[in-house]
Amino acid sequence: MKVDRRSFLRAAAWIGLGLILGAGVGLFLGWVAWPIEFSDAEPAVMEERFQADYTLMIATVYLEENDLSTARRRLSGLGKEDTGRWVLGLAVDHILNGETEAEILPLVKLANDLGHFSPIMEPYLFQIESTQGS
Amino acid sequence: MLGAASLVLFGLIVGLVVGLYYAWLVEPVSYVAAGPSRLSDEYKEEYILLISQSYAADGDWEKARRRLENLDDPNVANTVALQLERNLRNGEPAQILNKLAIVAEKLGSRSSAVALFVPSRGEPVLTRPSQERVSATTTLLPTPTNTSRATRSAAPSSTPTEKPSSTPVPVFRLLKQERICRRNTPIPLIEVVVYDAFLEPIPGIEILVSWEGGSDHFFTGYHPENGKGYGDFTMEPELFYRVELADGSTPVDGLQIENCGAEIGGFAGGRRLTYQNTDVQQGSSGP
Repeated sequence: MKVDRRSFLRAAAWIGLGLILGAGVGLFLGWVAWPIEFSDAEPAVMEERFQADYTLMIATVYLEENDLSTARRRLSGLGKEDTGRWVLGLAVDHILNGETEAEILPLVKLANDLGHFSPIMEPYLFQIESTQGS
Repeated sequence: MLGAASLVLFGLIVGLVVGLYYAWLVEPVSYVAAGPSRLSDEYKEEYILLISQSYAADGDWEKARRRLENLDDPNVANTVALQLERNLRNGEPAQILNKLAIVAEKLGSRSSAVALFVPSRGEPVLTRPSQERVSATTTLLPTPTNTSRATRSAAPSSTPTEKPSSTPVPVFRLLKQERICRRNTPIPLIEVVVYDAFLEPIPGIEILVSWEGGSDHFFTGYHPENGKGYGDFTMEPELFYRVELADGSTPVDGLQIENCGAEIGGFAGGRRLTYQNTDVQQGSSGP
């Protein structure tokens, strides 16, 4: 059967139009309306404020239990290149923002025990030492 | 000849499939600012555990509650209670279980596992060895046959007379040790039943079991059908076990599977150990 070249081009144009529209709708549905539920994540994908809170919990438990290997294992889930520097940054932020000692002390202790120190931590480290020594 | 509408529809369907394939499988949306609700089950458990441990450390319930809300779990009390049960089955240490139970209880969970670790006000309270305790009345039951237990002569008095000692004093005494057999059924168990000073069964007591090359622990009260003070452990053949209570008791050694008499089938039998808490808490409801 001989197909008219003009008819063929017209058919291809209609199919192409459908393809473009369909792909657009598919992308909208797949990315916006019904995106894949991402429910198997590591702490590394959490928003930074949640990561900071997660770190604070790790530090609070560490101050209580003094188990550095467990703290390190838990921190590794955050996927930071240098977890010690991350904890140090949080400790300094907490001090500068005037947060409570209940939050500052654990972060200072954990940062210090991970090998990171800032002079701003010194009074808190002294406080921890005197508390734990008594 | 196909009409224009059919051609567009054909293209639309193919485009839709291609678009969804690309959006879901090739280049799915990548969340880089997720909340704890997106964590995997493993990390959610870790997150809940951290919340319970932090709460135990800082006592800030508002903070703990806020953190739990971040999980977006409409039934978070049940989730924590289920995690407690899983941890129980995995043989996690009592400190972890206790902290989880406290959080589950604060959230309103009333499961049996929670009740084990967070006794209600009406239940007997265990006391640890301290200078301010007095001996329980020993006439409640016949004198135990175990004579290796340290004797104490502190008389009930407002002034503690017992001197502090570096040697741990058993809090529980072995009342009875009996062989258990069941007709035509193997029962290779170490059964432990624990009572308080007034012979009320006590749940949530940790029992340590050790043998050459291994150790384990279990708790009373996890088989409520056998009583709140009951717990058991299955023995393996050809092993000798040592049993003691974590809060302090004279150890019982050499427990092993013993075959019962042929008249009841000759199956494997076990041992039942009955303990009594020798401490009573001082009646100090006020300061």
